[in-house]
Amino acid sequence: MTVLAVVVFVAAYVLIVTERVHRVAAALGGAGIMLAAGVVGAEDAFFSQETGVDWNVIFLLLGMMIIVGVLRETGVFEYLAISAAKRAKGQPFRVMVTFVVLTAVASALLDNVTTVLLVAPVTLLVCLRLGVPPVPFLIAEVLASNIGGAATLIGDPPNIIIASRGDLSFNDFLFNMGPIVLLLLIVYLGLCRILFRKAFCYDEARVAQVMSLNEKDAIEDRVLLGKAAAVLVLVTIGFVLHSALDTEVSVVALLGAGLLVAIAGLSPKEYLGEVEWPTLVFFAGLFIMVGGLIKVGVIGSLSELITEATGGNVLLAAMLLLVVSGVLSGIVDNIPYVATMAPLVADLAEDAGNPGNVLWWALALGADLGGNATIVGASANVVVLGIAERNGYHISFLEFFKYGGVVALLTIALCVPYLWLRYFVFA
Amino acid sequence: MRARDLAVPFPAVGLDDDALTAARLMADRKMPGIVVCHGDGSPHTILPGSQVLRFVIPRYVQDDDALARVIDEQAADDMFAGLAGKRVRDLLPKEKRELPVVKGGDTVMEVAALMARAHSPLVAVVESGRLLGCVTVADLLERYLPGPET
Repeated sequence: MTVLAVVVFVAAYVLIVTERVHRVAAALGGAGIMLAAGVVGAEDAFFSQETGVDWNVIFLLLGMMIIVGVLRETGVFEYLAISAAKRAKGQPFRVMVTFVVLTAVASALLDNVTTVLLVAPVTLLVCLRLGVPPVPFLIAEVLASNIGGAATLIGDPPNIIIASRGDLSFNDFLFNMGPIVLLLLIVYLGLCRILFRKAFCYDEARVAQVMSLNEKDAIEDRVLLGKAAAVLVLVTIGFVLHSALDTEVSVVALLGAGLLVAIAGLSPKEYLGEVEWPTLVFFAGLFIMVGGLIKVGVIGSLSELITEATGGNVLLAAMLLLVVSGVLSGIVDNIPYVATMAPLVADLAEDAGNPGNVLWWALALGADLGGNATIVGASANVVVLGIAERNGYHISFLEFFKYGGVVALLTIALCVPYLWLRYFVFA
Repeated sequence: MRARDLAVPFPAVGLDDDALTAARLMADRKMPGIVVCHGDGSPHTILPGSQVLRFVIPRYVQDDDALARVIDEQAADDMFAGLAGKRVRDLLPKEKRELPVVKGGDTVMEVAALMARAHSPLVAVVESGRLLGCVTVADLLERYLPGPET
């Protein structure tokens, strides 16, 4: 049974990584085989907290997707981005800084894919009006989105999985990931000045074209915007207080989505239009496959091996986790990677100790920031590539890597002293 | 009734004709599309007006209603000026679509079925390899939905 579970898991993983079949088909197919072969039963797959589908993750994503679906209808992102470009007086570097900050902050509150989907079109508009190449701006934004998303529990799908497996709260993420992400963002802004220096050509006549845009026109329904903003604020407060209220973040997100749907007056087609059903099904399939590995004892054995290999040294384990996660997340999508690693880290934390949950933060930082290295490292990267392509701009693997590789390397390198100092030296 | 009975003479343009001129022809004659012919006069495809818009309006504006609202008149004029210097072949979609062409002897229902299947507002009618004319969706609806007798 163990061999079968490993073979099915590896085969599905290879199919996901190589994209030989759609990732949903690979994950569902793998899960189906594990169920049919009896590696896991219905009880294990659907109702077990240890080996089953993590419904907290699924419903948190669903709730946030619904909220974002309504927010998107309001045009608020277009308003904010045009307004930011005008405040930057159309100066390309200042525009990049405002867009990068906007993307990073939005990515911390919403998921990365949604954020780049909202910011990329307005970036193209502003860049083409300024007469500057849009590709550096798009790359800068998606890198910022992966950095900013690392700050919160809801910012990046890997964080949602980690929070659920590690029983970590929204505030745990905010207080542990927030400070380093803020530092990384400041460093990254400086890096943008160097990395994208050739993109900052200034043409006064072109700037007038940006200044003439009326951002207020982007917002069609102010009442809807007010309702959506109020619910988003309530949901964010709910996230911050969810531990004190003794409730799950998924419940907060679902309550917010329900409230917004009730008061928005939109049709199901409109508020469910942004729900990425394939992603939710993909997650469910992954959880069942990883559950199979947990049930047959593969994850437990692997964590024992790692504990032995590191000699029970948590600092070494944390650094290994950070670096290996960073490298692997650049090669494979960080969602299946974290779904596989999370139960392993949970076992490792039990065996070797986990001061201040450092192993979880190492996994999260490595996976989130490593995703910046290549175009296939994170879903948001692939989405931006697609948007650029549809608008006639090709971003090659190497071009992305030229920027993303540097940013991933530098940001992960900065996490090493952070983890060491905060959780070991000044613990 | 056959396709040739419904067909009306329709102007056609060549693949290498000026795109701006072709678009103006559509606007002046209030045509939903235009027939694009090979050098020998045989039809190559139909260029619908919506395809001209797809070429002119940047994809990021097509994808984002809120952005479409902030585009001012001047910017819109600039977009349409982008047709200058382009050829008709530049406007055609890259993927090969079903050619909305029928023979003169085809039935009106065959014309209607092709129009529906190809999402084309007009269908070219060909006889002996030459363009006889076109049937527009308006001609077709008029045939099936005649107005009240006066």
